Amino acid sequence: MYTSPHVLVLTLLLLLGATSPAVSVTDEQRVYEIVDQVDQLLRGDSSQGTITMQIVTENWQRSLTMQVWSQGTENSLVRIEKPRKEAGTATLKVGNNIWNYLPKVSRTIKIPTSMMMASWMGSHFTNDDLVRESSMSRDYFITISYEGERNGISVYEFALIPKPDAAVVWGKLELEVRQDDLMPTWHRYYDEDGTLIRELTFSEYTLMGGRRVPTRLVMQPYDKPGEQTVIIYDDLAFDVPIQADTFSLRNLER
Amino acid sequence: MSKRLLQLAWRNLWRNPRRTFISMLAIALGYAMLMLFACLLHGLSQQMIDNGTRLGLSHMQMHAPEYYPDRSLYHTLGGRAGTKLEDLLTTLTTHPHVVAAAPRVYGSGLVSGASHSAGAELLGIAPARELLISSFHTHLARGRFLNEPSTDGAGGTHGTNEVVLGERLANAITADLDSEIVLVTQAADGSIGNDVYTVVGILRTGLEATDRELVLLSLSAAQALLSLPANRIHEIGIITTSAAEASSVAAALESQLRSLIPARIRAWPELSPVLAEYVRLNRGMNAILFSIVFLVAIIGVVNTMLMAVFERTREFGVLMALGLRPVYLVGLILIEALLLAGVSLALGGTVGLPLLWYLQTYGLDLRNVMDGLSMAGVAIDPIWYGQHDFPSYVQAALGLTAVAAVSALYPALRAARFRPIEAMRRV
Repeated sequence: MYTSPHVLVLTLLLLLGATSPAVSVTDEQRVYEIVDQVDQLLRGDSSQGTITMQIVTENWQRSLTMQVWSQGTENSLVRIEKPRKEAGTATLKVGNNIWNYLPKVSRTIKIPTSMMMASWMGSHFTNDDLVRESSMSRDYFITISYEGERNGISVYEFALIPKPDAAVVWGKLELEVRQDDLMPTWHRYYDEDGTLIRELTFSEYTLMGGRRVPTRLVMQPYDKPGEQTVIIYDDLAFDVPIQADTFSLRNLER
Repeated sequence: MSKRLLQLAWRNLWRNPRRTFISMLAIALGYAMLMLFACLLHGLSQQMIDNGTRLGLSHMQMHAPEYYPDRSLYHTLGGRAGTKLEDLLTTLTTHPHVVAAAPRVYGSGLVSGASHSAGAELLGIAPARELLISSFHTHLARGRFLNEPSTDGAGGTHGTNEVVLGERLANAITADLDSEIVLVTQAADGSIGNDVYTVVGILRTGLEATDRELVLLSLSAAQALLSLPANRIHEIGIITTSAAEASSVAAALESQLRSLIPARIRAWPELSPVLAEYVRLNRGMNAILFSIVFLVAIIGVVNTMLMAVFERTREFGVLMALGLRPVYLVGLILIEALLLAGVSLALGGTVGLPLLWYLQTYGLDLRNVMDGLSMAGVAIDPIWYGQHDFPSYVQAALGLTAVAAVSALYPALRAARFRPIEAMRRV
């Protein structure tokens, strides 16, 4: 069948158009703003809250209740309250350093850099997840990879590729955000070979501390099917006054 | 006739004692030299395997089937239910080829001194049993080895929270003898296991990874830290009567124990292919060295035997003139050669045995020449001990006998082909 070259070109143009839909957030600036907002969502300038962490692994499962304090991306403090056996165990993060306080032996231990990728308290989060002053808008080139409806909800899907000089461990990130309230729904982490390593899903969006936030986070490692860590925010307050010595070793050992 | 020949051969041997003695000396010395060499080379091979297997590896390791190669904390022998440890150890040690067996628990974690921390490999051992299968206790730079934890009258326990640290690890966390260190690890129930321990010994094995990472503690202390009950262990290290037979013994033991407990038993060549490869390379080199020494011995024997028989051509002519058939002449000389070789080997053996005994007991002390050498991740002892290598002794004996016989046969055959009158005319 003969097809005129003009028709062919027209078809190609239409096809190209279909793969890159009309972007409503045309402004590149806006893309970075949205990702920044997601980044800051559960953090604020300062925050204080109670978290329940449920860890399920192939060999055991357990639940931890803890108090968390944070100030910007620099400082945070986590203190375990339950179970009783581990009550008082605390982690302090100041800048790039992490200390663990172990009440059983009354010792504070600085986590060496070689242990940064090790699990934090047996969960599927690493020490590095705590330390990283994760500013996605600073460390990654961000583009919109999908925009439209998924499961009846309008979403943006962002693809984040690390900048050449950024000190990040991931090869690529993907982030899905609901269009109407800019709430994140999932966050996927790929290694440098493009293999999906883990997925963080967000749900149960509730008004907490005057903000609408996802209160249930599920971290799913893809190399260990059946394992996961669930974080539930029991309460959360933002921009609360935090005492100056909160993020000190002395307070850690309290 | 053959009895007469034997008698004649024996008398011929002693008709010219000096000539016989020179030939005997060549064979006897050659034989003693070969035995010494075989003994030393075998000793070196053996020592290499010993050094390679005595620092944690052992001749065989018994694990749960899923344990290797991931070495998961949860895959203990007998699964979650654990195993009747004492019964299992008794069963193993009563096997005729098993010398000793010791249980082990592995973990990894963080070791922390007063101000510095480092990642570490934890190895929980039963000290009294471990002494029988590994040589950690002979590689201490300072301090002492772990004691068997014991209960005192007051109900307290001694020696539970003691550790021996690798030297580099101790340096990294600036710990020394009597320092208090903290171990932190992910326990089997998901909790963060942590406790304080006292450093009682510093280990210097010469093996980089071991000295940089190893923390030795008692089995019970390791199990307490890792929240493992006393009947859950990861490994049983086994020493057999002969490292060379470890592979076949492992297979036999495994099928024998199959009804008792599902487990895999691996021998050291499978556990450490690098060591196995190195030992094979060493064997190849030994074979070449042995061949060279053998060649030297052969040349000595061939030379003396050839000359000793050539010079008797006249005598053979006379014997043939008197009516001895050439076949019997050759037979006579062959018997003479075999008798000579037999007596010489016996002599060589008698001279060599005390030397071999000395090499096995005291070894060659090379401490003046070398010190603390390590090759391919295997520390090498500065004292070189010999080790009996009977197959090589037999080989050398048979080889020298054959060489003596062949080198006597050649001039004999030559003489037998002459007419008596020609043979008699030769000088």
